Amino acid sequence: MPGWVFIITRSLLFLLLLFITTKILGKKQISELSFFEYVAGITIGSIAGEVVTGLEGNLYHGSLAIIVFGLVTYLVNFLSIHSKKFSDFTEGKGTVIIRDGKILEDNLKKERYTIDEISTLLRQKNIFNVADVEFAVLEPRGNLSALLKKENRPLTPKDVGMKMANEKEPQTIIMDGAIMDEALRWAGKGRDWLYTELEKLGVTLDNVFLGQVNSYGDLTVDLYDDKIQVPQPQQRPLLLASLKKTQADLELFSLATECEKSKAMYKKNAALLQETINKLEPYLNG
Amino acid sequence: MTVGTQVKQTLAGLKSAQAAFETFALQTENKSAKKLYQQAAKETQSIIDNVEPRLQDITAEEPQYNQ
Amino acid sequence: MTVASNVKQCLVTIKGIESQLSSLAFNSLDQEAKAAFHDTALTIGTIKKDLQYRILELERQEPQYKGS
Repeated sequence: MPGWVFIITRSLLFLLLLFITTKILGKKQISELSFFEYVAGITIGSIAGEVVTGLEGNLYHGSLAIIVFGLVTYLVNFLSIHSKKFSDFTEGKGTVIIRDGKILEDNLKKERYTIDEISTLLRQKNIFNVADVEFAVLEPRGNLSALLKKENRPLTPKDVGMKMANEKEPQTIIMDGAIMDEALRWAGKGRDWLYTELEKLGVTLDNVFLGQVNSYGDLTVDLYDDKIQVPQPQQRPLLLASLKKTQADLELFSLATECEKSKAMYKKNAALLQETINKLEPYLNG
Repeated sequence: MTVGTQVKQTLAGLKSAQAAFETFALQTENKSAKKLYQQAAKETQSIIDNVEPRLQDITAEEPQYNQ
Repeated sequence: MTVASNVKQCLVTIKGIESQLSSLAFNSLDQEAKAAFHDTALTIGTIKKDLQYRILELERQEPQYKGS
């Protein structure tokens, strides 16, 4: 067997073997690798390289080594999932660096981090003042997680007592002019609905590059022809405006009428409508 | 008609107009018209916000008209 | 414009709102939103009934406005 045939067959074989090994070991990012995964990854790679090009090497020995490394790593992962103690031992535990806004110097020393390094890690999180931090942990992988004091955290709608509507993820239902039936089903719609919506927008299916539907059933499209203007869905803001208008009109009627009974009726319904507006506002805005 | 009802009526009219401006702003395709209507809606809203407390004062001053 | 025609116009808007809310209730995916749209559509329905009744009254009182 000539050398090049040998290398090609071995390469293909090992590619397959490596592919299967990594498939089994899961899809963690390089930075998230635990010690075992890190070592196993490097070793498996170099063993494969060695065996593929080393013409004199034994194919089976190489494969065996890869399988052993893969198996041990898999076993460690398995045990880590099932035993907290074991995973603390193999993957390490986070160390609290800042508690109650105070730096814990002992823990810092234990991790052999200088205050400069901690400051750098904090700055990468856009924290320049250590006093702003309530709690910080040095994670096993060497990155820092910090919890800011409540007053320094970004303002959320909840903080200002705003009610926000919950939103489901938008579904991409048209790609390259083709209907994605599965996504369409997820959105709880059918093809009939889609064709009606497209007609409303005044575009044809084969002109649509990308079509998405949000959790309110609004369809937004991107066309191949970027010169064509597509109207933005604005049914909901319009609805809010007409609700407001009707509410004001009812108030006007209640003031204008002489009849006591209908005055009360208008007043009651104006109040009812105001309630409705308050209730719907989070859903109709934007 | 008392002052209170008159102010109330005016306020309701303003609210109606404000909502109408919003509707116009959403319905027009013309960019500058859209902006104009949006601005008008905003200004009307600020007038409403300004007058509303006054209405409360009036109804507090003239409780007999408050119905 | 007369009172009756004003109220009629308002009724038309209300009807439009009701049907839009129903369709939003049908098309929304989020359960909470669905419920909110559904509830408010029902509320609007009661307001619509009141207005319809008021229009009948107005037409009876002022027959000249009928059909305007």
